[in-house]
Amino acid sequence: MLFNAKFKTTIITVLLFLGLAVFCGVRAMGAPQSSAAPASPAQETWRKEFDDVCGKTQDAMSFSPEELTELIRRCDSLRPQIEKLDESRKKVYLGRLRRCRGLYAYVLDEKKVDEKKKEKK
Amino acid sequence: MNKFSMSEFSMNKRIFVALAVMLVVCGPASSQTGVKKRRPLPYEYGRVIIRNYSEKADLAPVVFEHWIHRSKFTCRVCHVDIGFAMKAGGTDITAADNARGYYCGACHNGKMAADGKTVFQSCSKKATAEDAKRCERCHSYGLKVASDYDFFQFSEPLPKERFGNGLDWEKAEELGLIKPSASLEGVTIKRNPLVVQKDFMLNPKVAAMPDIIFSHTKHTVWNGCELCHPEIFVGVKKGTSHYSMVEITEGKSCGVCHTTVAFPLADCQRCHSKPVQP
Repeated sequence: MLFNAKFKTTIITVLLFLGLAVFCGVRAMGAPQSSAAPASPAQETWRKEFDDVCGKTQDAMSFSPEELTELIRRCDSLRPQIEKLDESRKKVYLGRLRRCRGLYAYVLDEKKVDEKKKEKK
Repeated sequence: MNKFSMSEFSMNKRIFVALAVMLVVCGPASSQTGVKKRRPLPYEYGRVIIRNYSEKADLAPVVFEHWIHRSKFTCRVCHVDIGFAMKAGGTDITAADNARGYYCGACHNGKMAADGKTVFQSCSKKATAEDAKRCERCHSYGLKVASDYDFFQFSEPLPKERFGNGLDWEKAEELGLIKPSASLEGVTIKRNPLVVQKDFMLNPKVAAMPDIIFSHTKHTVWNGCELCHPEIFVGVKKGTSHYSMVEITEGKSCGVCHTTVAFPLADCQRCHSKPVQP
């Protein structure tokens, strides 16, 4: 009886130890962490939106004034999200956002001037 | 002291006072007008000295060589995607930014490969004494540091030009001698292929000066749209903005690149390139 109880305790201890080892091992062998702060799902959302909005600068000249206005609105709503990031990310992405918003705004201005000219004619 | 020596002393005193006055007056005057700048040597052209925080950290300022970097990447990758400012010192790069994988750290991360070698890591969070040599690869202003790339060896097979780096970068790319990449994995946004705007002509204000043929093709392929518009060129449409050579020489409009990195203003006929009609 005493032997059985001791045996059971040993097995439970070994199992607990193995479980802990496996748990820690999996954590240690996980994907390598980048030196940058880990991205939360919210950060991922802003990045997707940023890539989508600022990935269209090549086509800026082909957009209608309505489309350009919408892109500018999306840039403006991205700004507060980027401002919450760490210093490095904030600096990089605010600069990138400024450039892409600036391009859309200027193309929009040009299109408005063109439309006015056409109306006058 | 006799009469003669007294007058000699007084004369010497006057000369001394006159010289002192000249020094006081001419010193600031000459510093205001400035001394003619030495034209940079081919390997120095495009060099940027970055000294925002280096000296505070007891490190030599960073010497950035444009020539080697522009042979690997288009202007857009670094100045739009990575986010370097167009003016020296305008980016406000910190060691922490680099260590986090931004700016220089976007490529100089100890992982990326170039020319069959791993690109050395830029700044790291904890630098040991052994890291000093690695730090000096960039923080090299005023130091004698051997580089992996030798300008003369690099430029030897490339087509030559008269000014700047002494190289025709455009032709070098056309000939496939350099292949500047237009993207950087994980940094560049996947974009549609660029619809290249037409080249156009600009009429100079000075009579008999050949017209400028602006190569939109080359500029957009290397820069994209947002690098130039609206921050450098405020008008998108031709004729919206007017430029003067004085402003360009001061580093505005075309001068942002063509006084610093791209072929310099002394190379007149590369812009004023339309043949004059007899």
